[in-house]
Amino acid sequence: MATTLAPPRPKAYDDSFFKPISLWLTTTDHKLIGIMYMTTGFLSFLIGGIFALIVRMQLAQPNLSVVTPETYNQLISAHGVTMIFFFVTIFMTGIANYFVPIMVGARDMAFPRLNLLGFWMIPVSILIYYAGFFTPEGALNAGWTGYTPLTTQPFNKGLGVDFWALSLIIWAISGIMASTNFLTTIVALRAPGMRLTRLPLFVWAQISTSILLLIVGAPLAAAMILLEFDRQFGTNFFTTQGRPVLYQHLFWFFGHPEVYIMILPGFGMISEIIPVFSKKPIFGYTTMVAALFGIVFLSMAVWAHHMFTVGLNIWVESFFMIMTMAIAVPTGIKFFNWIATAWKGSIEFTLPMKFAFGFMATFVIGGITGIYLSSVPVDTQLHQSYYVVAHLHYVLFGGSVMTIFAGIYYWFPKITGRKLSETLGEWHFWTVFIGFNATFLVMHTLGLEGMPRRIATYPGGFGEEGWGATNAFITVASFFVAFSVLIFLINLVRSWRSGEVAGDDPWEGNTLEWATSSPPPPYNFDRVPPVRSFMPLRDLRAERQAREAASALSSRPEGEG
Amino acid sequence: MRSSDFYTERVSYRSSALLRRLLFAAPLVTIASVLLASPALAATGLSPLLPNAVSPNGHNLFVLYNWISIPALAVFLLVQALLLTIIIRDRRKRRGPDYRPPQTHGNTRLEIAWTIAPAVLLGVIGYFSINVLANDFLVQGDVIAPNRGPTDLAITVEGYQFGWRITYPEGFKVVTSGFNAVDNPMVVPTGALVRMRLQSSDVIHSFWVPEIAGKTDAVPGYDNFAWFKIPQPGEFRGQCTELCGAGHGTMQIRVKAVPPDEYNAWVAEQVAKSKATPTPSASPTPSAAPSPSASPSGSASPRPSPSPSGSAQPSPSPSTR
Repeated sequence: MATTLAPPRPKAYDDSFFKPISLWLTTTDHKLIGIMYMTTGFLSFLIGGIFALIVRMQLAQPNLSVVTPETYNQLISAHGVTMIFFFVTIFMTGIANYFVPIMVGARDMAFPRLNLLGFWMIPVSILIYYAGFFTPEGALNAGWTGYTPLTTQPFNKGLGVDFWALSLIIWAISGIMASTNFLTTIVALRAPGMRLTRLPLFVWAQISTSILLLIVGAPLAAAMILLEFDRQFGTNFFTTQGRPVLYQHLFWFFGHPEVYIMILPGFGMISEIIPVFSKKPIFGYTTMVAALFGIVFLSMAVWAHHMFTVGLNIWVESFFMIMTMAIAVPTGIKFFNWIATAWKGSIEFTLPMKFAFGFMATFVIGGITGIYLSSVPVDTQLHQSYYVVAHLHYVLFGGSVMTIFAGIYYWFPKITGRKLSETLGEWHFWTVFIGFNATFLVMHTLGLEGMPRRIATYPGGFGEEGWGATNAFITVASFFVAFSVLIFLINLVRSWRSGEVAGDDPWEGNTLEWATSSPPPPYNFDRVPPVRSFMPLRDLRAERQAREAASALSSRPEGEG
Repeated sequence: MRSSDFYTERVSYRSSALLRRLLFAAPLVTIASVLLASPALAATGLSPLLPNAVSPNGHNLFVLYNWISIPALAVFLLVQALLLTIIIRDRRKRRGPDYRPPQTHGNTRLEIAWTIAPAVLLGVIGYFSINVLANDFLVQGDVIAPNRGPTDLAITVEGYQFGWRITYPEGFKVVTSGFNAVDNPMVVPTGALVRMRLQSSDVIHSFWVPEIAGKTDAVPGYDNFAWFKIPQPGEFRGQCTELCGAGHGTMQIRVKAVPPDEYNAWVAEQVAKSKATPTPSASPTPSAAPSPSASPSGSASPRPSPSPSGSAQPSPSPSTR
């Protein structure tokens, strides 16, 4: 049908990916910048994965010394920083950069050159962080959270911490730029008819993400600047003479909303994918949007649940506990609305849909363990143990990464014009689903048995007998996950070169990006289709069907009579 | 015309007998699966439960965890059952290409229901959690959980990179360093209510012995408090739980509960030893603040207060070790 929308046109633009490097470096096209964001994010994913594998090798058995404890601490920090700051957030920004302008019917972002600048700050930020590995004392070694006073001068003389702080300041500024740009684009550049109540839910998710990052990016930069003052100019904000816990407040005021910055775009993608493959409209559009904003507001009042053991007043702790529990309510609404959307649908289990269901099946575990952790008394047992590691990976891997995979399978045809291979995709889905659950499900029991996170090794013997076997199993399973990523990489490269040609609208989508060609021209649309509901493409299809049926009816008597 | 009713058709979700059955079955399936799974899990040594800690406050956490597990498991099974139903029943291959799904845009009643129901459930969990907090975690002045009775033994535990200095009321110290904590346990009498004052001389550490109770951070600048009471003799392992540097993984804790007379003998032995040799670890810390009452009054409010508190610390300014 899309062929009727976009008649064959002379090739006025270069739709290949082998553009001159000067073009990639200077382009302000939001799609090319989006691809660069995604590539940067995916490379970070691979690097962070390698860090994780080394960590798993070190922990495979008691008393191993694959790496020294000092290196181990640098590796876990680098794994966390890479995955959180340089992979998930960046990849999500990339997808949004590519699709938000198209979905609202715009030609580009509101500030294309700001977009360009914002993107190029990210590689700078990443390179500055990794430069820490080449300093004599090595990179950040205090965990991705970099708690003070461990990161202050007396305990950490190396430049690695300074590089990390500088890297995050640049990262935060870039994030603020991107957020401003997204909000302006969505507010100011919508196509005629694209009212706020007709925005795709992915765009709504991007609005809420941008608001969050806009609010919490600055406190992160502030925390890092104050930390640098402590380290280089002898101030005492977070040192042993100051208030180490103040740092935790500032960091987690950013850090907890960051969790939602990483998952809300994923929620948006799931809200796009499930209706398309169920052949049903999203269930409860308004409550879905309301739930997003409920999450945005609540997520800024829950940060101290990372600090239940530092000795806060119990009534303060109770407040944060109740707020944390409350945030499960909007998340639950979204969950049940997705289920209701698919309920009694006509469901086609394509790869994006498989990943969407895989996401729901695993993310619910992360949500439930979150309830245990939110209860202050129970948290005093679980905090900083492998239970938390399992929980956060269920939320981040079972949540964000599964949605990223769903998004890649869903939009890869639009970005490249070719579909990803079904066979390799099936292999990828089942290996990652089984491997991921095998890796992280048993980690809960390690935490319950008392294994703290971030320990470089653990002794065999009194009380620890059980840890060796469980850890060995986890290590094997983690390599299974790495294997699945390898399959995905092969699929990505092969399908990009010689995959099945997708056409403009391979999934019978609901949103505007499926109206244009695959890949879209630099100007996105020849003509923006009319928008009369939040599913403009489906309206067009229904109209066309009605037209065809009508013409069939009117032509039949003529032919017969 | 098929497409004419495509947007107008409504479906009543209340009529879904399957959904209703699932809702009722979820609690039953939960209980059955717990009963079935627990022996199997016990055989593998992997437990989905917290250790049933020996101290009353630790035991309360175990109980609370188990109570939270019931709705948690029910929600988990409900969601998975719904997803499985969709996967099995609603796939296009089974439904056929001509099946037109109901074009439902929402159902206000249902949406209100799944807003209110989780909120109520969480409210209940929150209520019980706050109860436990008020009983076992409330700090008044220098005393934690005052309604649990008078302190039988007040111990000051100071974390440092990478070990613990444990000061007893009699003035002697047990100093551990990394793995040697295994041979230098913190000895306490059984049946005594032990209150700990947690401090740190350098970075943040966290004191956690899972089979006794939850963890409490040792933060430089102010004191934290924790308590426990061990009814039976035994030895319990634990370790530092807050990343504190390269030796973090070695920073072990051993707590050994012995009968009171054995404890008294041990104390006498330690006192004699500390008199014979001036502080075994040659620690620069003066043996101050053996009990909460004798501590400097500057730290009357142990919780973070707006005033700078570094000065109120009983130990001298932090030294890098």
